[in-house]
Amino acid sequence: MKRMTKGKFAPVLLVAALALAACGSDGGSSSTEAPGTEAPGTEAPVTEAPVTEAPVIDCAPEEGPLKAAWVYVGPANDGGWSQAHDEGRQLVQEHFGDAVETTFKESVPEGPDVAQAVEDLIADGNTVIFGTSFGFQDAFVEVAAANPNVCFEFATGYMKSDNMAQFYGAAEDTDYLAGMAAGAASKTGKLGYLASFPIPEVVRGVNAWTMGVRATNPEATVKVVWLNTWFDPAAERKAAEALIAEGVDVLGQKGVDSPATGDAAQAAEGVAWAGYNTDQSVNYPTVWLTSTVYNWDVYEIPRLQQVLDGTWTSGDYYGNLADGFVTLAPYGDLVSEETRALIDAKKAELAAAPGSQFTGPINDNAGNEVLAAGVSHTFGELMSMAYLVEGVEGEIPAG
Amino acid sequence: MRSPVRLERRLEQPKWLNWVVPLASLVAALILGALVLWITGKNPFDVYQRIFERGFAGKRAFSGALEMATPLAFTGLCAAVAFRMGLVNIGGEGQFYMGAVGASYVGISLGGSPTGITIVLMCLGGMVFGSVYAAIVGVLRARFNTNEIITSLMMNYLAAIFLNYLIFNSKSFWRDPDSPQFPKGKTLNARADWNTYSIFGIDLPIAFLIAILAGSAVWVLYKRTRFGFEVGVLADSPKAARYAGIRTTSTIVIVMALSGALAGLGGAADVGNFRGLLDAKGIQMAGYGYTGIVVAALARRNPLVTVVVAIFIGGLTKAGYALQGPDFPSGLVGTLQGLILFSAVAGEILIKYRIRTTPRRSEVVA
Repeated sequence: MKRMTKGKFAPVLLVAALALAACGSDGGSSSTEAPGTEAPGTEAPVTEAPVTEAPVIDCAPEEGPLKAAWVYVGPANDGGWSQAHDEGRQLVQEHFGDAVETTFKESVPEGPDVAQAVEDLIADGNTVIFGTSFGFQDAFVEVAAANPNVCFEFATGYMKSDNMAQFYGAAEDTDYLAGMAAGAASKTGKLGYLASFPIPEVVRGVNAWTMGVRATNPEATVKVVWLNTWFDPAAERKAAEALIAEGVDVLGQKGVDSPATGDAAQAAEGVAWAGYNTDQSVNYPTVWLTSTVYNWDVYEIPRLQQVLDGTWTSGDYYGNLADGFVTLAPYGDLVSEETRALIDAKKAELAAAPGSQFTGPINDNAGNEVLAAGVSHTFGELMSMAYLVEGVEGEIPAG
Repeated sequence: MRSPVRLERRLEQPKWLNWVVPLASLVAALILGALVLWITGKNPFDVYQRIFERGFAGKRAFSGALEMATPLAFTGLCAAVAFRMGLVNIGGEGQFYMGAVGASYVGISLGGSPTGITIVLMCLGGMVFGSVYAAIVGVLRARFNTNEIITSLMMNYLAAIFLNYLIFNSKSFWRDPDSPQFPKGKTLNARADWNTYSIFGIDLPIAFLIAILAGSAVWVLYKRTRFGFEVGVLADSPKAARYAGIRTTSTIVIVMALSGALAGLGGAADVGNFRGLLDAKGIQMAGYGYTGIVVAALARRNPLVTVVVAIFIGGLTKAGYALQGPDFPSGLVGTLQGLILFSAVAGEILIKYRIRTTPRRSEVVA
């Protein structure tokens, strides 16, 4: 499956081991609640002290630059999720110059390796650690408890402590906008969507994207495929090709981190692609529509400033279009002027009222009413979403 | 025209070669690695010092190496046992998954039983699942002469799909019902039972002790019993084995089952000693089964050496995390690790063959 530091050389090892064999054999307590239930204020209070009463943690060094580290689940140049995080790290480095020293660990498999990698970072003097994969959460909670003077910042999780904060943002808003571009680009009205794991974050993306699709292409359907992986370019490409073979002419993705779907689209005739996590408009000009882009630095720079100022406290952050934490990648040539105008109008609307696309009437894809006309989801409901909207072909596996 | 340099099979393999060649291979790997590092603008001495410090030296580093080594010791033994007989079982990965499934089934069912019993039964659960899964490959090979490389590899993918099914695609016994939105395995109460002892400040997981025990048991089995002797004869000369009345088919199945049991034991250790639940996603990312093949190859299929090599690879893995960063891509770490392996494989050839240089003139005469 995923090739990690160890796994990465597995094929090589296999060949070598086979060579050897050919030589003959002689010779001898977790809560499942969503992160916070406070409303995701439009003017996300990044630079202000969070409302929680967490104590101030002093994780600034006695002397020398502040050392901050990022831990990635995939390669730092995966062309998706981890790369977006690393671009954020580089912007942080640029912003602070000599005052902050950043580093990262890439391709860290979820499990015992996480604690090993983080303990090494702490031994190297890093006092702020950013975790960037949901599956790192348990390990981070454990290491955070053992290192009360180190500040932990965790993306996409829900467990907090005095020295472990949570941060993420309203990708469902930009996913909706990307869906609008996708819907407008589809001639067949059949779209495909590659999703990683059936967790609320991804389910939200599937739904928002589909609703966006149907805003510009009311009869369209979106076929969703669950891949059960964060990063597996080969599997992603195979799934994309299978969808194309079924007559899908626009592809989208969430949670799977590589641009392999774009490769599959490029290899086919007349297929367009809405990516995820990073701007790939330059690398895939002929198929590119647009994509959600995370600007992690929007959160990370003020947070590190708080560490330097000695005012860092734990908290929850949920960024959005208004504060620039999420944005839309540049449009590809396939997106018409007319569609761009439509999307830009909706963008302004969502920036003013994040999550407002989830306002009734909304039915799930089994025909049950989820939201009555005029009713919106609460933030907590958004964070624990476990249904698929009308227009999605597929289901949440044993949800 | 014949090449002036050729390989000639050694009629006799001097004992000292078994020690000198692996060590020389390691030195060769370090020199090659130093060259690569130097070309990429790194100071090889600094890098090697850091590998040593973060992977092996000191209590923290060695504790980490042992933790990283434990699953590899089991999957290494799994490969070593099969390779010894010339059976290329590369299904350790899937057998490890199945062992984790079996052990977590037992662990969840037991709830709060007395410590010792929990560990023993979980180990048994893991071994049974792993061995049955591997025995399927063995039966196919023994009865239908199916290529076990292909079947064992394919069964890794099957096991992965089964794992995903249990945790992500069904409301199975293994899945935590209290976490409907974030699919994960049920947490075992038994986690606390799998001790990690602190000896002179070094954390020694009980699972590693079990690995040492398992390695010793395999060593005794292969070196000191009639069965082990028969496996050796079968591997070296199947024909002679048949004349001697050794039952080939059943031996193949037994060896495969044993091999799978060892991987399954690793799965039990993973669940009991480290993760505390069936972590469908995490154990697939780790790829212990494949790395175990390397461990066995480096250990030259010796079960005791396998456990030692697992510590070596475990330490390298841990050191790998310490090395990588913005100016040290993880690919370079993989290159260094790969060099060590290739040198070891190349060294293997030198144990079996000697290099002969044939003067051209003699050819003319002939």
